[in-house]
Amino acid sequence: MAEKFDLNEREVWDGNYAASQAMRQAKVDVMAAYPITPSTPIVENYGAYVANGYIDGEFVMVESEHAAMSACVGASAAGGRVATATSSQGFALMVEVLYQASGMRLPIVLNVVNRALASPLNVRGDHADMYLGRDAGWIQFGAFNSQEAYDLALCAFKVAENHSVRLPVMIHQDGFITSHTAQNVYPLTDEAAYNFVGDIDPVDDMLDFSRPVTYGAQTEEDWHFEHKAKQHKAIMDSVPVIEEVFAEFEKISGRKYKRVETYMMEDAEVAIVALGTTVETSRVAAMKMREQGIKAGVVAPRVFRPFPFDLIRDALENVKSVAVLDRSSPGGAMGAFYNEISAALYTTPKRPLVTNYIYGLGGRDFAVQDAIDIYNEQKANADAGYITTDIQQFSGLRGPKLGFFQTKRS
Amino acid sequence: MAITSVKNLKEFSTANDRFEGAHTLCPGCAHSMIVRELMNCTDDNLVVTTNTGCLEVSTAVYPFTSWDTSWMHIGFENAASAAGGAEAMYKARKKKGTLKDPDAPVKFVAFGGDGSTFDIGFQWMSGAFERGHDFTYICLDNENYANTGGQRSSATPIGATTSTAQAGTHSYGKKEKKKDIVAIMAAHGAPYVAQLAPNKWKSMAKGFQKALETEGPCFINTVSPCCTEWRFDPKDTIGITDLATDSLMFPIYEIIDGHELNILYRPKNVIPVEDYLAAQGRYKHLFKPEYRHVIDEIQKGVDEYWEMLQRREEARV
Amino acid sequence: MQDPKLCATEKRGLHELEAGKDLMGWDEVTQGSVLPSFEGDASNIAHLKQEERDYSHFNSYTATVASWRVQKPVFNIDVCIDCQNCWVWCPDTSIISRDKQMLGIDYDHCKGCEVCVEVCPTNPKSLLMFSEQEDLETALSQWPEKKKKEK
Repeated sequence: MAEKFDLNEREVWDGNYAASQAMRQAKVDVMAAYPITPSTPIVENYGAYVANGYIDGEFVMVESEHAAMSACVGASAAGGRVATATSSQGFALMVEVLYQASGMRLPIVLNVVNRALASPLNVRGDHADMYLGRDAGWIQFGAFNSQEAYDLALCAFKVAENHSVRLPVMIHQDGFITSHTAQNVYPLTDEAAYNFVGDIDPVDDMLDFSRPVTYGAQTEEDWHFEHKAKQHKAIMDSVPVIEEVFAEFEKISGRKYKRVETYMMEDAEVAIVALGTTVETSRVAAMKMREQGIKAGVVAPRVFRPFPFDLIRDALENVKSVAVLDRSSPGGAMGAFYNEISAALYTTPKRPLVTNYIYGLGGRDFAVQDAIDIYNEQKANADAGYITTDIQQFSGLRGPKLGFFQTKRS
Repeated sequence: MAITSVKNLKEFSTANDRFEGAHTLCPGCAHSMIVRELMNCTDDNLVVTTNTGCLEVSTAVYPFTSWDTSWMHIGFENAASAAGGAEAMYKARKKKGTLKDPDAPVKFVAFGGDGSTFDIGFQWMSGAFERGHDFTYICLDNENYANTGGQRSSATPIGATTSTAQAGTHSYGKKEKKKDIVAIMAAHGAPYVAQLAPNKWKSMAKGFQKALETEGPCFINTVSPCCTEWRFDPKDTIGITDLATDSLMFPIYEIIDGHELNILYRPKNVIPVEDYLAAQGRYKHLFKPEYRHVIDEIQKGVDEYWEMLQRREEARV
Repeated sequence: MQDPKLCATEKRGLHELEAGKDLMGWDEVTQGSVLPSFEGDASNIAHLKQEERDYSHFNSYTATVASWRVQKPVFNIDVCIDCQNCWVWCPDTSIISRDKQMLGIDYDHCKGCEVCVEVCPTNPKSLLMFSEQEDLETALSQWPEKKKKEK
């Protein structure tokens, strides 16, 4: 039996520590991991729990992130609770197996501490790694601070392991800004946390010898499409389960999570749509805008996958001008997040103006003033009735102004 | 471990096969002979993982599986990690009491071809051995990427022609020597490492049983003649294996705890490697006058390696 | 002469591998493309002969590769010494041995590779290749005499 870990009602934890505590409280059976900045402390903290008897499960320190996710796949198919953590290049190395994990419908929980992708090498936070995983068939939660990194990690197990979902889940937090910034966190007691998550009930258990199963069959053109469609349907259908889990979590914690978080959107004319810690920066900016009489709001998908197409429309359809902020190098296109938001808004009657800002790459600071500048440009768009700037702009970049494409509306 | 008697073939033949027919391996393929023998040499439950390769693509083609035990394929390189993950989960669940049948005996086995073992999956296997997972890794060594049409791997011997190391007017085929995987795995300090061949069914079955019984990571390289890429008649699979073991191209031996070497088969009449090479299309070009020197080089390499094995066996260090 | 369906359950070799007519929609394929090998409790499978097992329709036991063959091995029980060479080296689990006795060929799973004939040590051989169209009775009637040792 694991030793009891003493917790205070209020702890001061960074995002990494918060995530590792959630792994401990969920009584993960196998944690197979490989360290990488900035998620290393999740693995180190877990190692400290192992060394001091707080963990009953197995801790497998593998030789690469690819092996980490591979071992997670083997472990998960063997019927127990499985989790790991990674960032950036490690995430990139894992990508092959991310697709295999979701294709096999294995409920693995992955803490992703977001960081830029090389080259050039950079250890700071942006969302390039998160974007790399967006088509991998995983449910993706976004935590904007340490408390959320903790809460959503607990929710992740409950969603992933639900028999009508059976899909892996990532919880994203921003490298350093969240992962290394100590903040107040109100943890659940070990008992309350485990009661919430519950025991895992295995499906297609490789260690159930009364029912041998084959995982990873080959499906060529006669079968692959049907399997991928079924998998897509499963992730689309996970919405009510996610909502139930969030509601149940609210009951025990008092903390309410929604698939799309909205701030001051009831009467908003201009809005920023963002992910990660930028959401909190934008909220401060929106409050300042409102002091000047500009009706500004913030929209933030809490659940990035399944993409909340429906709630995005509900939140933004009456806004006049929307700025979508992509913290990932778009590599020759409009930002991926921009494209997704725009696609949703294109199906609304009023079709708000939508612009795209590339910002914060490689951990470049995104200050309140940057958000204020963006709001001011949205206000100008709203007043003019068309996009007055380049549709895609770079925010916070040194050198000549960089932007692409202009509107055809007037 | 519940083992099947391998005292003689009659007794062995009472094992109930757990590897089914109507897989799509080529007629005469040695892979399935080896896999059948592994699965027949124990009654224990098995969790088998398999790297991408001929075995994998031929035995689990949706909606069919040829495996009567739990089986998993993830990718080209990671069967060892998958086996390690499953084995770690077994330990965790055993400790926590969440296994459906906690007393059921189980062994973890990973299969890989030589491409996935010597090349692309080498790191994954090496890592799993260093961590000491209790599993057996079996390499089905047919000395090329047969599944993708016969490209060279680092297991391809010098002088063989493959689609990416072709023999031609300016080339005698592969220029580089085969990687010594058995020595490398022994150097990991694995408790049991062996090279075995299906024609010597008894030493192979005994080796498999030793590996399964031994706690910790065990490695076995099995010779798996490939009629398609080695270019011989499918009916001759065992005959070719005889030539391989009797010419000492594939010596049969084990290494215990990284140092104690035992030769498991000493041919009564060692045949020249030329006889082995001549039986396969992949070496046909070596019999042209301009490339005959390669045969001499191969023979020299085989002689030296056999000498080394014998000395190591004598030395008992 | 062996029964072509020797030791077969009704499920053996039911399907062609290219199961065109059995294709199902996305809503019916198995979750995660996982395939269970058996129906019911299979805990004791290592102690059951094939004909005693309840295979699922996903098990390749229920499929056939008979169409791969051009020639087939025919078994002559009168010559066989039950050495089990054919059993141990058959790559297609198609030698039916029960209680240490060789009984015949599983013609649903045999691909006709001829390995069994090659490794058969008797004189004359107890297994020989015949055209796929040849019936077993005719094949057995053509069995060769014992060969004299070449001097």
